[in-house]
Amino acid sequence: MLLQQIINGLTLGAVYALIALGYTMVYGILQLINFAHGEVYMLGAYLGIIILGFLTSIGLTAISLPLSISITLVLSMLFCAAYGMTIERIAYKPLRNAPRLSPLISAIGVSIFLQNFVMLSQGATDKVFPPILKAEGLSILNARITFLQIFIIIASILMMAGLHLFIMKTRLGKAMRATAQDRKMAVLLGIDIDRVISITFIIGSGLAAAAGVMVAMYYGLVNYFIGYVAGIKAFTAAVIGGIGSIPGAMLGGILLGLLEAFGAGYISSEYKDVFAFGLLIIILILRPEGLLGKQFGERSK
Amino acid sequence: MKRTILLILFSLFTIHYLLFTDIGCAKKEDVIKIGTAGPFTGDQARIGNDMKNGVELAVSEWNAKGGVLGKKIVLLSEDDRHDPKEAVAVANKLVSLDVVGVIGHLNSSCTKPASRIYNEKSVPMITPASTNPEITKQGYNNVFRTCGRDDQQGTELSKFVVDVLKKKKIAILNDKTTYGQGLAEEFKKSANNKIEVVVSEGVTQGDQDFKPVLTKIKSANPEVIFFGGMHTEGGLIIKQAKELGIKAPVIGGDGLYGSTFLEVAGPAAEGAYMAFFTPTAETEVGRNFVKSYTAKYGEIETYAPYAYDATNILLKAIAESKTTDGKKLIDAIRKMKYEGAVGTIEYDENGDIKKAGYTIYTVKDKKFITYDKVK
Repeated sequence: MLLQQIINGLTLGAVYALIALGYTMVYGILQLINFAHGEVYMLGAYLGIIILGFLTSIGLTAISLPLSISITLVLSMLFCAAYGMTIERIAYKPLRNAPRLSPLISAIGVSIFLQNFVMLSQGATDKVFPPILKAEGLSILNARITFLQIFIIIASILMMAGLHLFIMKTRLGKAMRATAQDRKMAVLLGIDIDRVISITFIIGSGLAAAAGVMVAMYYGLVNYFIGYVAGIKAFTAAVIGGIGSIPGAMLGGILLGLLEAFGAGYISSEYKDVFAFGLLIIILILRPEGLLGKQFGERSK
Repeated sequence: MKRTILLILFSLFTIHYLLFTDIGCAKKEDVIKIGTAGPFTGDQARIGNDMKNGVELAVSEWNAKGGVLGKKIVLLSEDDRHDPKEAVAVANKLVSLDVVGVIGHLNSSCTKPASRIYNEKSVPMITPASTNPEITKQGYNNVFRTCGRDDQQGTELSKFVVDVLKKKKIAILNDKTTYGQGLAEEFKKSANNKIEVVVSEGVTQGDQDFKPVLTKIKSANPEVIFFGGMHTEGGLIIKQAKELGIKAPVIGGDGLYGSTFLEVAGPAAEGAYMAFFTPTAETEVGRNFVKSYTAKYGEIETYAPYAYDATNILLKAIAESKTTDGKKLIDAIRKMKYEGAVGTIEYDENGDIKKAGYTIYTVKDKKFITYDKVK
């Protein structure tokens, strides 16, 4: 049972972590909580269903399932990256110098807009993923892990490792870190911060889309409302890990997933959400900057 | 400049508003408004709209015959998104719009708080789908239903588990709603000491991941898993139980019945059991209903015939008592004997139907069939 719960928790946590990264990156650079981020994840899930449905109809999934899943993943990430960039251009960029509350309200507006947009264009009922994936898997010590779960865990870890390398090793990553530290100084040093911000949204939205596609495949079900709960959970993960900190978001996501699995398995699933948000409260009281967050003094904007 | 534009816009809106309210006032006496409320968007939208279509069909048939009391019938439908808070707001809205009667709501958790609001204004309400026993026990005389009660289906389910399946070790899950929790309670109560409950847990409606709790259930090794809840969660639970290698069959109430369940659970749905209303003997009304419903809206999902009958009962009560007065309508409905699409409907003093039958269904080859047909 222990091993099984770890598998359950890791799968859930990997997805939370992927979404949390988008929150934390945007916060790190703009000090903005992008409430529309959960909706980008939802768009990713829908795109996954649509693209995979299309590939099934032309017969590609029957020939090569891994290939069609990769195509779905990549296309949906590209689409959502475009969505993320557009959202930033339309809803946040004009408000860059406005009081901090204005972009926050704008974010909530975008979130409501996207929910209703999907509801009206895709219908208000649940969409079911094409049943092409069988529930096959491996049994280890009385615990079962499906191939899809293995895929989700490995793909998430690869993506997170890739992101870490990107931030730490590339020029653009350095520019992102610089912008996060001090935006004004970054501009003075000749960093094109508009580009950095765009890239941030592109990467964050791409990761959310990947999470969306994987969740849609895993549960086989999406509706226009899934972005809300997932968004709140991922945001919690980001805060627990320390908002603004990229390793923090990964740690927070995994921790939250494991906590939910263990809480529901060993105590009671009636209080599943209580464990998640209870931990959030404890962290906020004892260590407000989050587990891996840095303590900042008065932040220069 | 900006100010002038704002002023013009504002006055335009005001004029518009006045114009519309005026039209509204003028029309008020010429139509009879009835309301319907249920989950028309979200994960239960399909069964919600199925119910709404049933109501719409009845209304359009009456309107084609010239309405009721010589007036046209207008249907106001409101979405409660199966949220109790929303249901109260929607009920208040319908009451303030002077509806004569209400068909709905769908979910017990919504019907219960909403019924109080309709009761205050003596607006008769007939729910085609809320099965929680408490709903008709609140002492409100305006509450009726065309479906059965959870204590009836709970008894049927526990009899099935004990006598037919001959299983003893049961894990019970519920979705913490009025319906799901109530059904799980009724099941446990009617099974009495004949079963041994190894795990009893609640899950959250809208959640998609049930593997942690199912892992717990797996280690308790039950022979049957009982789920009190709706099709989306039920479908996911069955699917994830299979993925974890749980072999115990899942059994549930009428909430599991419907095409969404089959779609969500996929192949895992085969062999699941659920109680649903007994298929009624073929009646003239029933045959006509099926014909016109499928022509207009496609396949019948679940509650459409119950909603259709409920609407007809309300409109017949208006036509026969020649009034729109709520109190008189309530009396008329209580005394009515109605031959509908689902059979003969007569009410007892609580507003429950006198004859309510449940039958156990199972899933075979992606279809719901009654269990006795399997043998």
